[in-house]
Amino acid sequence: MVAEPQTIIEARNVDFYYGDFHALKNVSINIAAQEVTAMIGPSGCGKSTFLKLLNRMNDFTPGARLAGEIFISGASIYGPDADPVDIRRRVGMVFQRPNPFAKSIYDNICYGPRLVGIRKPQDLDVLVEKALRAAALWDEVKDILSKSAMELSGGQQQRVCVARALALEPEILLMDEPTSALDPIATAKVEEWIKNANLTIVIVTHNMQQAARISDRTAFFFMGELVEFGPTMELFTRPQETQTENYITGRFG
Amino acid sequence: MLEAQKGFGRQRRYREQKLAFLAIRLAAGLSLGVMAAIIIYIVVNGVPALSWAFLTEFPRDNMSAGGIFPAIVGTVLLAVGALLTALPLGFGAAIYLAEYARPGPLVTAIRLGVANLAGVPSVVFGLFGLSLFVTTLGFGRSLLSGSLTLGLLILPTVTAAAEEALRQTPASFREAALALGANRWQAIRQVVLPAALPGMLTGAILALGRAAGETAPIVFTASAAYTLLLPDSIYREVMALPTHILNLATNSVHIEATRPQQFGSALVLLVLVLGLSTFAIVVRAKLRRGRQW
Repeated sequence: MVAEPQTIIEARNVDFYYGDFHALKNVSINIAAQEVTAMIGPSGCGKSTFLKLLNRMNDFTPGARLAGEIFISGASIYGPDADPVDIRRRVGMVFQRPNPFAKSIYDNICYGPRLVGIRKPQDLDVLVEKALRAAALWDEVKDILSKSAMELSGGQQQRVCVARALALEPEILLMDEPTSALDPIATAKVEEWIKNANLTIVIVTHNMQQAARISDRTAFFFMGELVEFGPTMELFTRPQETQTENYITGRFG
Repeated sequence: MLEAQKGFGRQRRYREQKLAFLAIRLAAGLSLGVMAAIIIYIVVNGVPALSWAFLTEFPRDNMSAGGIFPAIVGTVLLAVGALLTALPLGFGAAIYLAEYARPGPLVTAIRLGVANLAGVPSVVFGLFGLSLFVTTLGFGRSLLSGSLTLGLLILPTVTAAAEEALRQTPASFREAALALGANRWQAIRQVVLPAALPGMLTGAILALGRAAGETAPIVFTASAAYTLLLPDSIYREVMALPTHILNLATNSVHIEATRPQQFGSALVLLVLVLGLSTFAIVVRAKLRRGRQW
C-alpha cells in the first residue's frame, strides 16, 4: 500500500491576467512533496506563467494581476504577511537558458548564501562542494572553481545554475524548460539529475517524452486552463480528456 | 538557362563586385589617409619642439620659449574633474533609465533630452558654464567651473554609453539574481553593474578624451593664458593645452615665433587623447576576459 503523498504546493482558483489577457483560468492543483511534477501543453497555454507564480517571479511583470490563492507548506505566498524575497529563497528556479553570472563558478554558487549573510570562507567552501555534488557537477569542476562559469559548456552551465539554486537548500525547485537550449547529451545528464534528486521539483517542458521519462505526475494545460492532472503513466496511457489525448498523440501542439 | 546567358551574367556580376569593392576600399583608404596625414603633419612639425624641458617647464619670454608643463597639468586636472562630475550623474541616470524607469512619456522625454544634449555645440556649453558656474554660483573662472562645464558636455555621451552597456547585459542575469532572493538593487549592484562595467567605463574614458581636447567650454570658464604657479585650489584658473594652442596661434605677441610650441602642444594633446583611448580599449579587454555572454 502506497501512502498518499503530502501536498506541498496548493493552488486554489488561481486566475492570472497580463493586462487584458486572461493567462490562467481558475486553476486549482495540489502538488506533492518529494515528487517530480511536469507541466506540459502547447506554447502560450499558461504553464510557464503558472510556474513563475510559485516563486513570485511575475511580480516584476508590469500589468500583471492575480486572483485566487497559492499555499506553500500551508502558508499563503500572496498573503499580506508573505515576503517575496523569502519565498524565492525557499523556492529555487532554473531557467530556460543557462544563465550563470559573469563570475567564477565558486562565486556563482555562493551568490545565494552570501545574500543571506553567510560570509565565512570555510562555511562557503562546504556549501559550494555540497551544492556542486548535489548537481552532479563536482567531479568535473572541482579543480577549476575560480574559472568563469561562462567558459563551461552549456550543460555544465545549466548544472551550475542548478547548484546555485540548491546552495540555498530550497524546499522546491522550479525548472522552466531547463533543457530546451541543451544538446541531447547535456539534456540526458540534467534529466538523470532530476530523476535522482531528493527534492520537490516542478518542471515545465514542451517535450512530452521528457515529461514521460522523468516525472511522477503530469499536468496538462491548454488555453490557460488546467485540463488534466494525474500520475504520469496514467495521463499518457489513459488520458481522461479528449484535449489531452489529442495533444499527447500529436494531433495538435 | 540560355547557353549565352551563363558567361554574360557571371561576368557582369563579377564586374559589379569589383567596382563595389573598389569604392569601399577607396572610402576606407581615404578616411584612413586623412587621419594619417593629420597625425604625420603634427608629429613632423611637433617633434622638433619636444624636449624634457618642454614637458616640465613653465613658458618663458612671451610663450616663445620654455615649456607647457602647467597646461599639461591643467588639462589632466580638468579632464579628471569632468569625469568626477559626469560619472556619478551619468551612471546614475543610465541605471535609472535602463533598470528602473517604466516606459512612458517622461522616460521618452529624458532620453530625447540626453540625445539632443549630445548635439549641442560645445561653445553653448561654454556660455552656459560662464553664466551658471562662473557668475551665478560665483565659482569664478576656475578649475571647478571648467570641470563642471566639461562634465556637463560629456554627460550625454557617458549616459548613453552606460545605458547601452546596461541594456546589453542579458535580462537573464537579473532574473537569476532575483530568483535567488536578491532585491532589485542587489541584483543591479552585484550582478548587472559588474557585467556592464567594462562597456560603461569605455564610454566614459572615450568621453574623457573628448573633454581633454575641448577648447570652447573652458575658454570662458577655466583657462588662463598664463599662470605663474600650478593651481593650489579648485578655485584657481588653470592653463590647458587646447586653449594654450589657441592663444599661441591667435593672440600671442609672436605668432610665427611660437609655431614650434604650437605644434609641440598639439602633439602632446594628441598623444594624451590617443593614450586615453588606448587605455580605454585595454581596460575593456581586461575586464571582459572570461565574461562574454
